[in-house]
Amino acid sequence: MDKLNVGRHISGQFNEDLERIINHVMHMGGLVEKQLAEALTSVCDADEELAKKVLSNDYLINNAEVSIDDECTRIIAKRQPAAGDLRLVMAIVKTITDLERIGDEAGKIANVTLESFSGKHKDLLSNLDNLGRHVLTFLQATLDAFTRMDFDAAVKVHQSDDKIDREYEALMRQLMTYMMEDPRSIPQIMSVIWSARALERIGDRCQNICEYIIYFVKGKSVRHTTAEDFESLS
Amino acid sequence: MISVTPKTLSDQNVKLDLNNLSPEQVALEIKNLDLYYGSKQALQNISMSIPKGQVTAFIGPSGCGKSTLLRCINRMNDLVDICKITGQINLHGENIYDRHTDVAALRRKVGMVFQRPNPFPKSIYENVVYGLRITGENNRRVLDEAAENALRSAALWNEVKDRLHESALGLSGGQQQRLVIARAIAIKPEVLLLDEPTSALDPISTLTIEELINDLKKQFTVVIVTHNMQQAARVSDQTAFMYMGDLIEYSDTNTLFTTPSKKKTEDYITGRYG
Repeated sequence: MDKLNVGRHISGQFNEDLERIINHVMHMGGLVEKQLAEALTSVCDADEELAKKVLSNDYLINNAEVSIDDECTRIIAKRQPAAGDLRLVMAIVKTITDLERIGDEAGKIANVTLESFSGKHKDLLSNLDNLGRHVLTFLQATLDAFTRMDFDAAVKVHQSDDKIDREYEALMRQLMTYMMEDPRSIPQIMSVIWSARALERIGDRCQNICEYIIYFVKGKSVRHTTAEDFESLS
Repeated sequence: MISVTPKTLSDQNVKLDLNNLSPEQVALEIKNLDLYYGSKQALQNISMSIPKGQVTAFIGPSGCGKSTLLRCINRMNDLVDICKITGQINLHGENIYDRHTDVAALRRKVGMVFQRPNPFPKSIYENVVYGLRITGENNRRVLDEAAENALRSAALWNEVKDRLHESALGLSGGQQQRLVIARAIAIKPEVLLLDEPTSALDPISTLTIEELINDLKKQFTVVIVTHNMQQAARVSDQTAFMYMGDLIEYSDTNTLFTTPSKKKTEDYITGRYG
């Protein structure tokens, strides 16, 4: 947190306000990570109880988003943050939106567990689990970069989203082959496709969060830019 | 088919390249200005170009030299015996510190408004036309017109038009400050210097003056010194951050308040330095 430089304001109250929202975002990130991990475990182990728990806990993430949003609005109104402080508040407001959506995607994955899969579809789920583990690592790396506001880590994580996209495409091809071979399993395969899609979207949202980290650290918006633009920043 | 050129939000404020202004864009050019009060150096090698028709704000902690720099622009520091100045300030390419400069004429071109409103103990009307009277203008029609225009420009006309011949001292603080601004602009200066013009005013009068500053820049070049950083952010197009007699950073206000390039600037505008 030292790197964020939040503890050096003349106003101790402002320091506390900023530290509090940062801690809340980290806590929210932890919740999202836990939800995704449990959703994936529930799919892999066909654990319906765990899936139901994931679905019923989604409100915690929603509440966190609303309360952090409120705190950010209050800071803007009362403190008129400028420069790095302003970028931090803006980055947080955007990050929590993406985190909340990641929470929703975890819910979609948990829903798959509640669908009936027969034994012969188990290998479908193991492929999904592989993609899921990679996305979970990706999310952890993103949250880690956010906690440290680490520019280099954010760039590295941002660029590794390509791997997830490739893995997602490979899984899609495999699923389509299954559908052609056995049209009766299309309903189950569709569920797996929705989950794979949810995982791919989580990757994109993690990429967004990395962009907000880069915005905070460098003051430059890197959304909708190319890899070359990225390199010019470092 | 109508073609629409895409325009981003940030394009709405045209950003000037302050290091490469064309001569017609420059209102004032400050070059290598050093100022000493006795043996103490209060300004160190200040160089900057202040663009025409825009609001430029000087911010910085107390004693950083921002008011001193502002006062240099119409040679108010001449009144301080121990003050010594080297370097140049060019208005229309002519150095105002040249030996042949007529200081009274310079101050007609560069008007100034101070922290506390200082109306003369005369009527509202006489306050506004004072500058014209001392230049020898006595034609009633000319004076009436100038008074009305100046009061309208200073957003005061509607409040005082029925009591122009009452004492100016009966106006509220905010009205007095706008009256002083009207007095300064009645003689049509090119540059208007405002030294903390709202620090003695209530928040609503402050907003009225800020709105006025925004209107004034259509006719004049405005340079404002303010202790209130949010005010600088609200009213100015360019902001200069000064610290201990040095010009630390000078850039367009949007950039300075979102992505300052110097650490000292960042620390000051985010309240990390007192």
